[in-house]
Amino acid sequence: MSRINFLLLLAVLLSGLYMVRNAYEARRLFTELDRAQTEARRLDADYQRLQAERHAQATNLRVEQVARERLRMRAITPAITQPVDVAAPHAAGAQP
Amino acid sequence: MKPRQSAARSLNTRSVSYSTSPLLASKTPPWRSRFLVALVGLAFAGLLARAAYIQVIGEEFFQRQGEARYAHTVELPASRGRINDRSGQVLASSVAVPSIWAFPKEVDTDPAKRRELAKILGISQQQLEKQLDPATRFVFLRRQADDDTAARIKALNLKGVFQDREYKRQYPEGEAAAHVVGFTNLEEKGQEGIELAFQKDLQGRDGSRAVVRDRLGRVVEDMGERVPPANGRDIDLSIDAKVQFFAYQRVRDAVAEHKAKAGSVVVLDVQTGEVLALANFPSYNPGERKNLSGEQLRNRALTDVFEPGSTMKPLVMALALETGRVTPQTPIDTAPGRMTVTGSVITDAHPHGVLTAAEVIQKSSNVGITKLALQMQAREMHEMFTAIGLGQRPQINFPGTVTGKLRPYKSWRPIEQATMSYGYGLSASLLQLARAYTVFARDGEVIPISMMHQTAKEPVHGIRVFSEKTAAQVREMLQMAAGPGGTAPQAMVSGYSVGGKSGTAHKQEGKSYAGHKYRSWFVGIAPISKPRIVVAVMVDEPSNGVYYGGAVAGPVFSQVVAQSLRLLGVPPDLEVKPQIVASGKLQAVEESF
Repeated sequence: MSRINFLLLLAVLLSGLYMVRNAYEARRLFTELDRAQTEARRLDADYQRLQAERHAQATNLRVEQVARERLRMRAITPAITQPVDVAAPHAAGAQP
Repeated sequence: MKPRQSAARSLNTRSVSYSTSPLLASKTPPWRSRFLVALVGLAFAGLLARAAYIQVIGEEFFQRQGEARYAHTVELPASRGRINDRSGQVLASSVAVPSIWAFPKEVDTDPAKRRELAKILGISQQQLEKQLDPATRFVFLRRQADDDTAARIKALNLKGVFQDREYKRQYPEGEAAAHVVGFTNLEEKGQEGIELAFQKDLQGRDGSRAVVRDRLGRVVEDMGERVPPANGRDIDLSIDAKVQFFAYQRVRDAVAEHKAKAGSVVVLDVQTGEVLALANFPSYNPGERKNLSGEQLRNRALTDVFEPGSTMKPLVMALALETGRVTPQTPIDTAPGRMTVTGSVITDAHPHGVLTAAEVIQKSSNVGITKLALQMQAREMHEMFTAIGLGQRPQINFPGTVTGKLRPYKSWRPIEQATMSYGYGLSASLLQLARAYTVFARDGEVIPISMMHQTAKEPVHGIRVFSEKTAAQVREMLQMAAGPGGTAPQAMVSGYSVGGKSGTAHKQEGKSYAGHKYRSWFVGIAPISKPRIVVAVMVDEPSNGVYYGGAVAGPVFSQVVAQSLRLLGVPPDLEVKPQIVASGKLQAVEESF
């Protein structure tokens, strides 16, 4: 009788300890996950910011300035353009 | 009792008997034990009642109080949607930027550190002290700071000063697209333009999650459900950023060249009814929100109405052709360049003698068009004006659009009917006028216009106002007007055939017309052989000597058309002699207004 009791007590103790460990582990993993998610959000925000910065570098105003001043380009006119008839259907905007 | 106790003591002085205590033997009255039992019982009953109260009756309250001590709701901010142009180029987007705030009571009082903080913030120390008044609980030191400032303040490591990420709106195209895109306030709420019109779609919905925090404020567990944030929807506009930018530049240059007050350009795609560009000058930088005045903020192309002047003539001519009153070859005697209608005199800038109907448009003769208008019934004209959208709010999702003025035809007097034929006595916005001209570009149909990118590839259908034949005849007249011998040869484009009508209107001031204040117009179609775009230009008060619509607005039209058609990939329909531009050598005929 007392042996069964002893075994049960041991089982209870072990399961209790196991539960404590599990709870601890769960919280630890959760914090880790949460931290990773925060990091993901931060990186996402960074990505957005960098994208916006890239757009700011490629505005029409800047493109025109660089083309004109640094690359010494000039706007094309029909006088120096040879239109090409593109038959391919995927060529959007090119009408024969 | 006393005598018995003393007797016992004397009896046990030598041998103490522990097994029998006289105390135990003492007889206690039974009420004492009962009293105690009752007392303990009562205490238990009290505990039971309290437990019942906490767990059954007041459960909700205690549950809530308990939760409040460990559970927190964390807000998950949704990001505002982007505004893109038709090719996906970003016109407005939100980025997270640092905002710096403080609890004034907790801020380090070390004067050296505070001086450093003031220096980084770029304010005087007195100003900083004023901001850090200990009576206030919370203060923003700098909202939407740049990354450099934020990093330096972080390096300062000052107690009581914190940083947070807030969203800020960025407008890469700046002032070129300002009037279309609009702007938001600090709380990211749309204030103008598309930002205001699509506030609901753009803003999204914040999410939230309930969490358990530990002693150090770290999140240790999720509890309950989590509402994910719904980010705002992206808006794809019909605007083409390149056309928009170019149009803005050209109107800005024209305003500067002619010392004008303002100018606007509208470019419409006549196949889909999309607005490709809508530019105004003066403009503003939507990211700055500083020193904004109504002059800069007004989206003139949509919110201002003017008398359209001679740009009305082709519409009246179309009605005359449609009803069979004239053919393009019908001679009309405009000599001697003036006529009287019920006591008022209508004049031409130059007397032209006998003109054909087509030449009336080409030379822009007031007398000629008046003679046609006076043959018509007021109702006919009113119906035509209404059909092409005058006096009606444009069906376009944009704040501030106006209807313009078109009086009911029953109150028209003959002189008013005459002046309306050359664009006085009624008013329209530039956008309305541009839309009206789609009737010629689309073979007699006036089409609905849109600021949204249309994904359907087939052309939109409109409402038929004129027959195809009439539209083709008027297009021919418009081509003559924008060519040699017309009022606006400066509108010609190398490589493309164009047609259009210039207008020069006296500005109304109070009850009469101002002597030397004009408004110059040009509305045209290109390429005229197979119309693709309608471009409308308006320059307000050119005051550098030149004020005719053909000379002021015509060149803007020409440049915008050349660039737009090239960007749209429309092949030139005219033979081009390499490197020769003819428009400069031709002499303009002065139009009547």
